[in-house]
Amino acid sequence: MPHSTSAPRLGDLERVVMEHLWEAATAAGAGFGGATVREVHDRFSGEREIAYTTIMTVLDRLAKKDLVTRERDGRAWRYFPADTREALTAQTMRRTLDDMEVTDRRAALLHFLDGATSDELDDLKAALAEIESRAGSRRRP
Amino acid sequence: MEFVIPFVLAGLAVLLAWVAPGLMARQKRFRRAPRAALVAWQAVSVGGILAALAAAPAALPLLLDGDDPIMQAELVVLALLVSTAVLARLLWAGHRVGTRLRRIRSDHRELVDIIATHDRDRVRILQHPTPTAYCIPGRQSRVVLSQGVLDALPEDQLDAVVAHEDAHLRSRHDLLLEFFTVVHEAVPRPLPSDAALFEVRLLVEALADRAAVRRSGELATARALLTLAGSRAPEAALGAGTTAPVRLRLLADGPPPTVLSATAYAWATLAFTLPLILLVLAWT
Ligand SMILES: [Zn+2]
Repeated sequence: MPHSTSAPRLGDLERVVMEHLWEAATAAGAGFGGATVREVHDRFSGEREIAYTTIMTVLDRLAKKDLVTRERDGRAWRYFPADTREALTAQTMRRTLDDMEVTDRRAALLHFLDGATSDELDDLKAALAEIESRAGSRRRP
Repeated sequence: MEFVIPFVLAGLAVLLAWVAPGLMARQKRFRRAPRAALVAWQAVSVGGILAALAAAPAALPLLLDGDDPIMQAELVVLALLVSTAVLARLLWAGHRVGTRLRRIRSDHRELVDIIATHDRDRVRILQHPTPTAYCIPGRQSRVVLSQGVLDALPEDQLDAVVAHEDAHLRSRHDLLLEFFTVVHEAVPRPLPSDAALFEVRLLVEALADRAAVRRSGELATARALLTLAGSRAPEAALGAGTTAPVRLRLLADGPPPTVLSATAYAWATLAFTLPLILLVLAWT
């Protein structure tokens, strides 16, 4: 019943299905022929009750997010991870760090730090030394 | 005497929307009292909006002295139109900014939920050596850490970083930033200036740093700031200038003298109530 699945549950399934595709691709090596909805569904039957149509929805959503690619295989689709998990992580990291330079997107994610130039690092060290000496003198009155 | 009030209100709107932000961004000593300073920034923005909304209605009591009922009706409609235009501009900017930010956040959250490992509750770990930490605000908020930051920071410093992010999420700093982004976008500017937005962002960071100090102490917080500042490539930090040196300086300077907070709160009260008082005066 795809209609009754809430978004958080779908999100959870997206991760599980994606992990399965990554594992399958790694296990098969270069010759990975992709996975069909049927194959993904069979993989999970037994351990968790997931409807066939839900798997379809999940793979469709992953395709829309460009996390998987698909190829026609007769009347079915074969799904492949668009990239390895490591490559996606690296790409995401690069993008979020780049986004910090865009005024518009800086309000979207709140970063702990926006970095420092090498000139600024000397100021930073001086300020830290002040705090350290204060903490030191407080400990040894 | 009443006839000057609409002009004073219009002048006040200009003052609070264009002049005050530039002046306030230069008053750097108020960074030591980030909470009070943020209240002042909000009061000035809201005061400017109120003044702009009230200027046309404040003119009505003067103009409605005539005997011509049709003319009077036209004036009322005109005054309402002016205020509605101001309000519509704000709401439209609010809608645009809100949609955009929600979009970026939910897309990013969904992606991180898939590619990152799940730590406790809302914490996600990206398997990447570059040290970084940030939060995704919203109804389904997340704190995102990289493996690099876990490797680079000892426990007390990591604790400070997480406390900082938790403070952003708990105190809904995203709503503050969203509000100022909306005002920034709604107020037409001869020269778009990011100084006000930069200042507000800095104050929000300083406020979250204080939460980190409360949990882990100023030493751990300061060391975490330095470690993470040093680990980012300098070219990534060009742009509008970075907040790290200021924030560490603020930690070194310690808590603010009370007079700073008091001044900021007094200024906030003035900026917020003046438009309301003027509107009441115009109608009595
Ligand atoms: Zn922050």
